[in-house]
Amino acid sequence: MPKQKTSISERIVHLFTYHPWFKLISLILAVILWFYVRGEIIKYNF
Amino acid sequence: MSFPNIFHFWKPVIEITILWFVIYHMMLFFEGTRAKQVLRGIVILLVAFLLFHKLDFEILDWLLTKLFAISVIAILIIFHPEIRQGLARLGRRHLFGTVLRQEEWDYILRVICKAAENLSKEKIGALIAIEKDEPLSNYIESGVLIDARVSVDLIETIFTPKSLLHDGGLVIQQGRICAAGCLFPLTQNQELSRIFGTRHRAALGLSEETDAIIIVISEERQDMSLVYRGRLYKDLSQEELLSRTKEIIKLKKE
Repeated sequence: MPKQKTSISERIVHLFTYHPWFKLISLILAVILWFYVRGEIIKYNF
Repeated sequence: MSFPNIFHFWKPVIEITILWFVIYHMMLFFEGTRAKQVLRGIVILLVAFLLFHKLDFEILDWLLTKLFAISVIAILIIFHPEIRQGLARLGRRHLFGTVLRQEEWDYILRVICKAAENLSKEKIGALIAIEKDEPLSNYIESGVLIDARVSVDLIETIFTPKSLLHDGGLVIQQGRICAAGCLFPLTQNQELSRIFGTRHRAALGLSEETDAIIIVISEERQDMSLVYRGRLYKDLSQEELLSRTKEIIKLKKE
């Protein structure tokens, strides 16, 4: 079977359907973590 | 806006994106493993810790800080095998996974169902797991890597009783035969009828832990079964097997 290239639209749909909850939770955690670390850096003046 | 200013503005966005990428891949990595529950607990504790810290709950904040300090060593010891595997696999995965086209899925499923039918007629037992969204990497590592195109002849050859790889399961990943002789976890379900042997128990066990589509061919009863998300559909014909697998993968029917 010849290898077919996946279209951009299929990739975009896949982006939102492949583990959407994991993506959302990890984004929330990333934002929380970034703000926490920035707060700590400012507090201790690193 | 000059270049340094643009970079200053985008720096937090880049940093958060990198953090997001790392956390997302950690979650994907632990999905389907026994460490998943522990990771869930750690995330809850982490959120609680950040909340207590923000609300200035000194005692709870102090307690959780000490707990995290101790648990770093505990986590390193408990997750030693997972950390080792994760580091070894670093960089192998695509950013957001790859996706197969409908025609590719259609072709692959037809070939698998045809092979299953042939094996059933020849009274040869088989266990085939098709990876869906959740990675089967942990199980692939327990078998022998093949990485070949899906073909009826190859599947039949693998499950021929005298073949070295006929014991264990065959894993189809991204439309290719990825590995054979893989070990799947056995279900602990006590309600399963005694007529089902280890092959069916392994299929159910894997389906309880992942979203893989599993096809089981019984050598004694010559029947084909489909296992998905802890449910077993037995005595299926080739057409029924194809139709159900397509349904699960959400392919358009002809």
